[in-house]
Amino acid sequence: MKNRLKVLRAERDWSQQDLAERLGVSRQSVNAIETGKYDPSLPLAFRIADLFELSIEAIFLRD
Amino acid sequence: MAARHPARRRYRNRTLMGAAAYVATTAVATRFIPDGAPPSAGPIALAIIASAGALVWIWATARFLVEIDDEYVRMLQVRSILVATGVTLGVTNMWGMVELFTTAPRLPVFFVMPIWCLGMVVGSLVSKLTMGDAGESCG
Repeated sequence: MKNRLKVLRAERDWSQQDLAERLGVSRQSVNAIETGKYDPSLPLAFRIADLFELSIEAIFLRD
Repeated sequence: MAARHPARRRYRNRTLMGAAAYVATTAVATRFIPDGAPPSAGPIALAIIASAGALVWIWATARFLVEIDDEYVRMLQVRSILVATGVTLGVTNMWGMVELFTTAPRLPVFFVMPIWCLGMVVGSLVSKLTMGDAGESCG
C-alpha cells in the first residue's frame, strides 16, 4: 500500500527516528512502512493519523 | 530501539540462561549416566532434566512474542519461527523417509531443536533478503 508518510515527515523536518519515537515503534518499522514493505495494523494507522492530524485515507492510498 | 528494546534484551538474557542451563544439565547427565544405560527411572529423570534448557529457550521465544510491543518486529519474529518450523518439519520428514527406505544412519530426535535453531537463522536471512530487516535468531 502506498502512503505519504515520507512527505509528511519531511514537511515537519522529522527524521525516521523522530517519527518512530513519537509513535512508540522502532525506526525499522517506520522505514518498512514508508517504503511500502509493511502495512501497519489499523491501531497503528490510527496513531499515525492522529499524530499528523489527518484521516487515515489522507495518508494511506489504495494501490 | 531495536537493539536496546527491553523485550529484546530480556529475550537474549533468557536464551543465554537457557543455553547455560542446557550445557550444565547435559554435562551432569553425561557425568552420571553411563553409556548404554537402560531406560530406568533414574537415567530417564536426569535426561528429562537435561532438556530443561531447551524448554527455557521455547518459553523465552514465546515471551518475546508477547512482550515485544513493536508489531513490525513481532511480524519479523513470527516469520522466522514459521520458516524454522518449516525447515525442521521438512528436514526431519525427508530424513525420516531416507531412514525408512535405506540403511542410512538414524538421526537422533535430540537434533530437532538444533535444526529448529538453524531454521531461525535461515528465517532471519530470508527476512533480511526480502524485507531488509532480520528477526532474532536462536538467542
